[in-house]
Amino acid sequence: MNRKNLSRWLLIFAPLLAVAYLLWPTYRFYQLDAERSSLASDSAALEAWDVQNAEDYQTARLKRIKLGLDLRGGMYVTLEVDVLKLIEESADKLSIDDDFMAVLEETRKETDNTDKNVLDVFLEKFRAKAATNNMSLLQYFTVSNQLDPTEEAIEEKLRKDVDEAIDQALQVISQRINKYDVSEANIQKQGARRILLELPDVKDENEIRSLLQTTARLEFHRVTMGRPMIETFYAIDALLRGDVLEEPAEDTTAVADTATVAAADSTVADTAKADTAKADTTNPYAGLSDDEALRRIKKDYPFTYMISGVFAPNAQASFQAFDFTLKKAADFPETGVYRFVVGEKFVSRFLAIMDRPDVQRLMPVDLKILVGAKPERQQGADAEAGFFDIYGVAADPELTGDVVTEAFPSFDPQNNQPVVIMDMNSEGAERWASITAANINKQIAIVLDGRVYSAPNVQGKIPDGRSQITGMGNTEEANLLAVVLKAGALKAPVKIIEERVVGPSLGEDSIRRGITSSILSFALVILFMLVYYMMGGGLADIALMMNVLLVVAGLAGFGGTLTLPGIAGIILATAMAVDANILIFERIREEMAMGKPLRSAVEQGYAKAWSAILDSNITNMLSGIVLIFLGTGPVKGFAVTLIIGVLMTLFTAVVLTRAMFEIMISSGATSINLGQKKTASA
Amino acid sequence: MDLIKKTNIDFVSNRNRFFTISFGLIVAGLLAVVFTFNSSSDLGIDFTGGTQVTIKFEKASVSTDEVRTSLTSMGYAGAELKSFGNDGEYLIRVGATGKATEVSQEIVASLQEAFPADEVTLLGADNVEVKISNELAYQSALALAVALVVMLLYIAFRFQELVYGLGAIVALLHDVLLAFIVSVLFNKTGLLNLEININAIAAYLTIIGYSINDKVVVFDRIRENREKHKGMGLADLINLSINETLSRTIITGVSVLGALLVLVFFGGDVLEGFAFTMFAGIVIGTYSSIWIASSFVIWYTDRVKHKRIGTVHTSPAK
Repeated sequence: MNRKNLSRWLLIFAPLLAVAYLLWPTYRFYQLDAERSSLASDSAALEAWDVQNAEDYQTARLKRIKLGLDLRGGMYVTLEVDVLKLIEESADKLSIDDDFMAVLEETRKETDNTDKNVLDVFLEKFRAKAATNNMSLLQYFTVSNQLDPTEEAIEEKLRKDVDEAIDQALQVISQRINKYDVSEANIQKQGARRILLELPDVKDENEIRSLLQTTARLEFHRVTMGRPMIETFYAIDALLRGDVLEEPAEDTTAVADTATVAAADSTVADTAKADTAKADTTNPYAGLSDDEALRRIKKDYPFTYMISGVFAPNAQASFQAFDFTLKKAADFPETGVYRFVVGEKFVSRFLAIMDRPDVQRLMPVDLKILVGAKPERQQGADAEAGFFDIYGVAADPELTGDVVTEAFPSFDPQNNQPVVIMDMNSEGAERWASITAANINKQIAIVLDGRVYSAPNVQGKIPDGRSQITGMGNTEEANLLAVVLKAGALKAPVKIIEERVVGPSLGEDSIRRGITSSILSFALVILFMLVYYMMGGGLADIALMMNVLLVVAGLAGFGGTLTLPGIAGIILATAMAVDANILIFERIREEMAMGKPLRSAVEQGYAKAWSAILDSNITNMLSGIVLIFLGTGPVKGFAVTLIIGVLMTLFTAVVLTRAMFEIMISSGATSINLGQKKTASA
Repeated sequence: MDLIKKTNIDFVSNRNRFFTISFGLIVAGLLAVVFTFNSSSDLGIDFTGGTQVTIKFEKASVSTDEVRTSLTSMGYAGAELKSFGNDGEYLIRVGATGKATEVSQEIVASLQEAFPADEVTLLGADNVEVKISNELAYQSALALAVALVVMLLYIAFRFQELVYGLGAIVALLHDVLLAFIVSVLFNKTGLLNLEININAIAAYLTIIGYSINDKVVVFDRIRENREKHKGMGLADLINLSINETLSRTIITGVSVLGALLVLVFFGGDVLEGFAFTMFAGIVIGTYSSIWIASSFVIWYTDRVKHKRIGTVHTSPAK
């Protein structure tokens, strides 16, 4: 084999390697998914499987080809900020009168089916009416912390509220959807006022709808971390084990407290327990293999094995990690600083258990157990594995968020650290003063929809309703907290303007028939090419198969989603690849018919077919680019696969088949059967 | 195999006859479409707005009339009701109400209540407010128009004459209009669900893509022959080029049509309508590649630019 042929073989096999690399996760995912769903009925086996394969499964899942909702079933929702409702809600309730409502109604009529800016139309209508009825925005709206606002100030505030409403709604909705544990939910902002949601595998559409449309609830709770929490955790263990006894059973709990490990922040990581258990001689799980120990720990501590805890006797002392499996509730000091975390991979299971009615019944009346809204991540090696803080809070809120009038991110003038400033109305300020006075040096949790966003320490009594919340790591965190606090001040009303549900049964059946028929029709083309162009057709077939593989792999590589219009794009690209080969072969046949030798016939054939192939592919590529920029979702899906397809077609139909021809020619072939008349090839 | 021998057929002399046929078909077809148009069955929910619910009675024990009666008692007397696919499957459509999400829920719940002996499964639901559907229609039209203009410019640039761009676009419009007419009229047979929705738009885009490819191939031959046979009249040049590319035009067309036919018959709910529209479009596109696109170039050069185009000289095929 000469050097030239070597590079030609490379040209053929390198893309195959790329295809294998890009499609491997997809193959692996479906393999793992099949394994996983075969265990679905056996929760213990499933858990064991998850521990073994969770990482692999997640990686494969992220890199696999995603199917659009039209192919796999699910729910697609477009939400829009209801600006009218927002205007109505931010107006002073007592001053709303018939004139005001009439303006709102006129605005609704004019903007209902158009894309006009609702606030602009409202202001215009309001001014028109104000001119005759002697009205002013000042009658209906107030601006917090501004005693003497102008109309302009109110207008500016309304604009700001409308602009911010979308972020607020986005935050509230993402949190709820995450809590609902919809796998692979896609939530994104579209333009300035819309949110798109794609939710595969939705079980209950009604639940999602109410989830999206109920307004957020912001509460301030006193934090009470301590032994009652640990008692509750053990009680949940007992419940899950099936024990109804008061005392946790089994001798393992009676083992003395010897298992503390030197504290470092890293001991919080959820692997700490297994290591601890192995190292300790008084450990009932000592001497067992890691897998076996883990299996037994999970059986004995079905709830607490998910939790890691640290303790310090007072705020100044350093934290010590402790092991739930080696203690019983009474071993834990009553006073001191506790901190509990649950690993990211366990958090949905943790929350699901907490939501169970039988677990709820176990809870002490004055205690609520909540989880942080965002995972924390450690620096360093295990940065991928985040964990959530677990908070014990007083069951009744100290204050609800509707007293918050304004919240915004800012900077502390002294140290330039990001902070959040929060204002309350006079009623709230009064109660806030007494709450803060009673809880100095204690934590107050800021809870939105049942998740803790921040639990700042109270540093002193706050008399005037203006609080400064510090301790934010960066401005991003400060922005988030401000958004959350504002959700208490202003409900961001959203309405569903588009909703599509594809039932899983329809999706499944469609995709099966779609795939079978596509394979069949592809096979038909392959066969046709082989019969019509013989050897040449065989080469083209190899290129065609490669073409389809490359398009699909390309889609996986770009993280694209395969939808029905996307399949249309692939069909078009494949048709163009077939056509490119036909163009080339017809040209080679023409050249051969003129009596040219194989080598120059092939050369001429490719050279003459090239301009037509190039122009038609570029034309389609240009239209694909236009569609990507101007088209809506489904049309974009078509355009993406078309563009990938066109690029791959140029490669496979022209470069790849040429390389195959050249290899044959340089290996001494003097004629290639292209299905032409025998006389012509002589 | 070599099905299509070297040909020498006069494709362009009768161009006026084919223009007339095509024009007549488009006019008659559009009239037929306009007079029989039923926006609620021909246009998909994507473009009308409203609510569309697809349900299945698991035991298929409920008749169409019973479902209709039940819908009327719910206050949806004007609802469109279609039964399609398997027994017991119904598609129900009502106009936009401004309360998109409540309607589909209500329909499913009320039907379950009305027919407790059977089990109602929701196969799919679409709730689209008019606002969204207007935007979708506008955006699709805009994207299509810009894409066509870009193609026109590119072809005019590559073939050095505006007339080629025009010819391609006229032929594309011809293909899309006829494919549209065929699919709207065929939709009325109820054999396939061919309503114009966002997926159908993807089918029309595919027709455009295929068809432009076809036209470019013929134009490319004209460009090549223009250099090779200097002094040949335009009509002869074009006729020669169509003949030379004929075998490729037909072979490619046949192989793609064969593949689409499989999808029409076995593609299932999702692909069949889609494939049907493409099938019709590609048949039409192949016809227009031979008889319309290049003939338009001759016609335009002759009538609009008043240039000599010559007459076609054909000799018997070898």
